[in-house]
Amino acid sequence: MRHFVTLPLLLTLAVPGLIQAQQTAQPDLSDPQVAHVAVTANNIDIDLAKLALTKATNLEVKKFASTMITDHTAVNQQASALAAKLGVTPADNAVSQSLLKGASEARAAIEPKSGAAFDRAYIDREVGYHQAVLDALDGLLIPTTSNADLKKLLVDVRPAIAAHLAHARQIQGSLGGTR
Amino acid sequence: MSNDGRWARQVLVASLLATGLSAATFLSAGTDPKHRYEIEIRGMAFHPADLTIAPGDTVVWVNRDIFPHSATHKSLWDTGTLTTGDSGRFIAQSRGEATYACTLHPTMTGKLLVK
Repeated sequence: MRHFVTLPLLLTLAVPGLIQAQQTAQPDLSDPQVAHVAVTANNIDIDLAKLALTKATNLEVKKFASTMITDHTAVNQQASALAAKLGVTPADNAVSQSLLKGASEARAAIEPKSGAAFDRAYIDREVGYHQAVLDALDGLLIPTTSNADLKKLLVDVRPAIAAHLAHARQIQGSLGGTR
Repeated sequence: MSNDGRWARQVLVASLLATGLSAATFLSAGTDPKHRYEIEIRGMAFHPADLTIAPGDTVVWVNRDIFPHSATHKSLWDTGTLTTGDSGRFIAQSRGEATYACTLHPTMTGKLLVK
């Protein structure tokens, strides 16, 4: 299964929330919990992008951060509209909490940096985060979801996550060293 | 000289026409498009990504994704940001090949071949 194959890579990328999600919660998430995980994952990336807009110095990094805010906000708007349509309230859960904990730790490591070091740290995080989200979509969220509309939303969002990952990698390469 | 360079001089650059500007507005410039091709933007990709057209043909990009996009050539045209449901167009008048991309998602690319 894909998420087990990629687990060692994810561990090195320090995205503990999604790793724990894949390890422990795959069989047990309800649709409202999946929706909550999705919204939480989007909000995490939006929040870090807002920080990047204030601290990044590289123009491409700033543009990337702006795109993350726009795109992940759009996904959350779709998710909110779907939840309203289905009469579902996203339900907090251990996976979401683990995601938030991981995000907090990542932010604490990135935020003190400045200049080129911040740019690299932010983009490195974005590469790791989007890879982890992709793996979570494939190995946890999409397979776990039973509602057809919610599953379709997740499937529809997947190309955006893949594009964000490719874009982040492109910038990462242009920045030179990644550590 | 590159194809793009030749186009830069020879091609009547179109576009920048987002939704709200009619085709008639653009065509009044004296062009006479033969065919109209639609490129759909969805799933973070241009469909079709590669398109062969003839001089005078019109290409219309329609954004059916939930994210904003653009179809932008480095010098010949730029649809500007297209939100969901928006469209932008380009009319080619000379032969050549041009690759383009979404400025917001640079890994999204497409190619027009005019022959």
